[in-house]
Amino acid sequence: MRDLPSKEANLFREILKCYELKQYKRGFKGADQILKKFPEHGETLAMKGLFYNHLEKKELAFEFVKKGIRHDMKSHICWHVFGLLYRSDKNYEEAAKCYAHALKYDKENIQILRDLSLLQIQMRNLEGYVDTRHILLELRPQNRQYWVAVAIGYQLLGKPELGVKVLTTYEETLKDLPSTPDYEHSELLLYHNTLLEEAGDFQVALDHLDTIEKQVCDRKAIKEKRAKYFLALGRLTEAEAAYRELLSLNPDNMGYFEGLGKSLGLGSDCQTDEDEVKILEMFKQLQKEYPRSNAAKRLPLRYATGEAFVKVTDEYIRSMLRKGVPSLFVNIKTLYSDSAKQAAVEKLVLGYLIALDKSRGFDHSGAVVEPPTALLWTLYFLAQHFDLKRETEQALEYINRAIEHTPTLVELYMAKGRILKHAGDHVAAMAALNEARELDLQDRFINTKCTKYMLRADNMADAEKTTILFTRADIPNPLNDLVDMQTQWFSLEAGESNVRQGQIGRALKRFHQIDKHFNDYTEDQFDFHTYCLRKMTLRAYVSMVRLEDQLRSHPYYVRAAQDAVQCYVRLFDKPDGSESEEMEGMTEAEKKKFKSKQRKAELKAQQEAEEKKKKAAATAAETAKKAGGNAAAAAAAVKGDEDPEGTKYTKCEDPLGEALKFLQPLQQLADTRIETHLMAFEIYVRKNKLLLALKALLKSIKIDANHATLHEQLVRFTLAIQKSSSAKTLKPSVKAVIDKHWSELYGTHGQDLTAFNAGFIEKTKDQGSVAHVISAAMSVYLIDPSKSLAKAEELLFSVEDEKRFGRTRTLENVILVQKTLKGFKSARQQEWKAKAGVWFPNAVAFK
Amino acid sequence: MTPPAIDMSSTTTATTTEDKPKNVGFRVGLGDITPNNLGQLKRLNTVLFPVVYAPGFYKDVLEVGEFAKIIYFNDVCVGAVCCRKEPAAGSATEQNLYIATLGVLAPYRRLGLGSEMLKHILEQANLPVVAGQPKIVKLYLHVQSNNEEALEFYKKHGFEVTEKCENYYPQFEVSDAFKLEKIVN
Repeated sequence: MRDLPSKEANLFREILKCYELKQYKRGFKGADQILKKFPEHGETLAMKGLFYNHLEKKELAFEFVKKGIRHDMKSHICWHVFGLLYRSDKNYEEAAKCYAHALKYDKENIQILRDLSLLQIQMRNLEGYVDTRHILLELRPQNRQYWVAVAIGYQLLGKPELGVKVLTTYEETLKDLPSTPDYEHSELLLYHNTLLEEAGDFQVALDHLDTIEKQVCDRKAIKEKRAKYFLALGRLTEAEAAYRELLSLNPDNMGYFEGLGKSLGLGSDCQTDEDEVKILEMFKQLQKEYPRSNAAKRLPLRYATGEAFVKVTDEYIRSMLRKGVPSLFVNIKTLYSDSAKQAAVEKLVLGYLIALDKSRGFDHSGAVVEPPTALLWTLYFLAQHFDLKRETEQALEYINRAIEHTPTLVELYMAKGRILKHAGDHVAAMAALNEARELDLQDRFINTKCTKYMLRADNMADAEKTTILFTRADIPNPLNDLVDMQTQWFSLEAGESNVRQGQIGRALKRFHQIDKHFNDYTEDQFDFHTYCLRKMTLRAYVSMVRLEDQLRSHPYYVRAAQDAVQCYVRLFDKPDGSESEEMEGMTEAEKKKFKSKQRKAELKAQQEAEEKKKKAAATAAETAKKAGGNAAAAAAAVKGDEDPEGTKYTKCEDPLGEALKFLQPLQQLADTRIETHLMAFEIYVRKNKLLLALKALLKSIKIDANHATLHEQLVRFTLAIQKSSSAKTLKPSVKAVIDKHWSELYGTHGQDLTAFNAGFIEKTKDQGSVAHVISAAMSVYLIDPSKSLAKAEELLFSVEDEKRFGRTRTLENVILVQKTLKGFKSARQQEWKAKAGVWFPNAVAFK
Repeated sequence: MTPPAIDMSSTTTATTTEDKPKNVGFRVGLGDITPNNLGQLKRLNTVLFPVVYAPGFYKDVLEVGEFAKIIYFNDVCVGAVCCRKEPAAGSATEQNLYIATLGVLAPYRRLGLGSEMLKHILEQANLPVVAGQPKIVKLYLHVQSNNEEALEFYKKHGFEVTEKCENYYPQFEVSDAFKLEKIVN
């Protein structure tokens, strides 16, 4: 600090200390004291701003810090403080700039360097991180943390071998090693070994393991790594012994069994008959050795085929049905990817049912009388089995029989709900789930499931009432607890329900909520950059950093992003945005009636909400009073939501720009999913960014040239080019690029879309795919909406052909056909509905 | 909540001989009735008894403690017993216990579950009373006159028919009932 007499200089040191100790009020007073005498002392002004920031006065904070900088442009303290301010605002980019500025005036300031490195790792500026960390290491080579951080930087940069060098150098400086196992040192050594493993030389890693073994606390990690290295090095006898030892420690770890199999030369797939016999023999031995291991009993089902499969499966399923394991079907259905196995299981379990009905055993030998629950679980299994095959009638028959047998079992009603859901009757499904819920009110799982089914049936009111049975009750609006708890499934399902009901604003609000949760997860890692280095939990730290990098490839984000993009695209297409799916295809009079009905319902809901708010306000005030009254906080809590309809989103200036924000993480993280690029096309073609649309199409083609939707997009791409060309807005340079890639998109076809589409129809006619038929029909219609409706309809109705389309004529696809007809404003919609109603008698969509 | 399990395998397999089929062992346990699982009791009663019980019945059930229980078979709820205490005529220190319902789902009968529940009720009724509380002196119940199975069950457990109540169940075709009693303590 500069230019202060010694008394004030001491005081200034004191307020810095206050900041470290989080005594913001005291620090604030100290700063004021200095400023009384030296009102233009820059560093003190900046500090005052920083204290303001912690006292929740953001605007004043920025004002004072900026004032401080103006008075002292060359103070590292002022710039550092400015950086801290930006950091607390989560504006990392600006914060990093400020730190860099601060370092200009104090190159070796440890605190600033550390803060800068934190921002760099948070923003994954890995080169910068390594550089900063190198400076720190040079300044403080005696500190272990600084060595480790450099190694981590190199590892994340993909240069584990450099990380190894750093750690080796550090370890060489250590004079006396801890005599007793020391956790932090142990983790450091294991981390070192992980780097060796990543560097790819397993022999070196194995040797290293031997040298560190005595100092490592995590014995299991040593054993697992050793087994893995033996296997990777082809030292199979040793690998076998290592895996056998691991199994003796945990005979239910699937990975150990797999490792043992591999070390015996028995790979997981494409095995010969000989291998099969061997591996089954191995499991037989293991079952004897570990009679309580479920994995040893279950794994043979994966390897066995034919007669052997029937034998081991028979034994396995019987014992599970006897025991009454509710998750049995979920466990078994993973085998169904092999249709022979699926058929074998079906035959077995149907056999049990006949035998149980007749002689109360799983077979007719009469040797054993099974408990009555065996019949119950057998029926339950069969219901789920036939539901998976979408044989609704059969599935319902079995589940109803099970319910008649034992009407008190929650699982049965859940299964029934699932069957009905798959059959397209969301309302009956919801009723079944509610029955299940009422049987066991303290079961959070069933309460959650029930809520989900209510949302699927678009019954928001009941869903909210049900879900808050398990949220915190002591806050004014219990639904807010779902946001605090980052309950993504609820936001997602509720958002999708909003979409179905045409409430785009509400829906977008929920999808943005999910996006915010993911932002929060990214934020949440910040503290771990320091914490993990201090605690030496390095392996876990690195795996967390890598997880964070992949976070948005999580299915919840992908789904929310897809939904949001669709909403924004719809807003772009229909800016008034108020048309729900139900309203599409209604006459004006019908629409009017429908809208007024909706308005009335909304009004009523609003009134109820008002009332609730009042009540909540009363209780909140009450609790505040009791708690000795932070009235302001209570008032803030009650104020609640100022934009429940989410008009902020529906009225946004640039819906396509907003859509892009959701898409971008997917382009980075879900580049191999065709949906990402199909979405990208939808956005770019609307923005008339033809080259980016082209890029999206090329990516899609690479992933799946035969994708149904892709064909329709190709047709629309040509239409967009033609439109742009006739409007004389097509730049020659753009056209040149498109021409260059033309054959990649359209093969030998020119601009004649009718021929292109005819080729597609001809090419896909033997696929029996409903999705492709829809795409072809859409194309026919788009190419010439005025003349080709009949042809498009005819194509869609070809789906009637049971022989060709029986396999892909799922409920979802049949609903899609119906929506497509609706989009055409076809006169044959009722005709389709009637046919679909015969195929799916339970589905409400066709009633 | 998992009820305490009683292993029935020993009792059921004990009767096994060479030619008789072997029974697989099973677990039986009694559990409390709580507001959370009341739905299961209601479902049981709907299936087991032709009488529809009023809401008041279910309110009382929650207050009689050990005298209302659910029975679990291999962790599945399959039966229940509900009693209520009634003051004995002309005595402040004694009371009767009325067994309002006792039943097991059809597939789970003849496995000793009813006896298990009745045994529990008898045990509880015979417990020494807290000072000042009236003690239970008599258990009683009604059985529809044509329900041979139930009559036999209760007689086996020491109940005696004391009265024929004509037109006790006016809503049913067989409207007469027997009153059965067992003196305790």
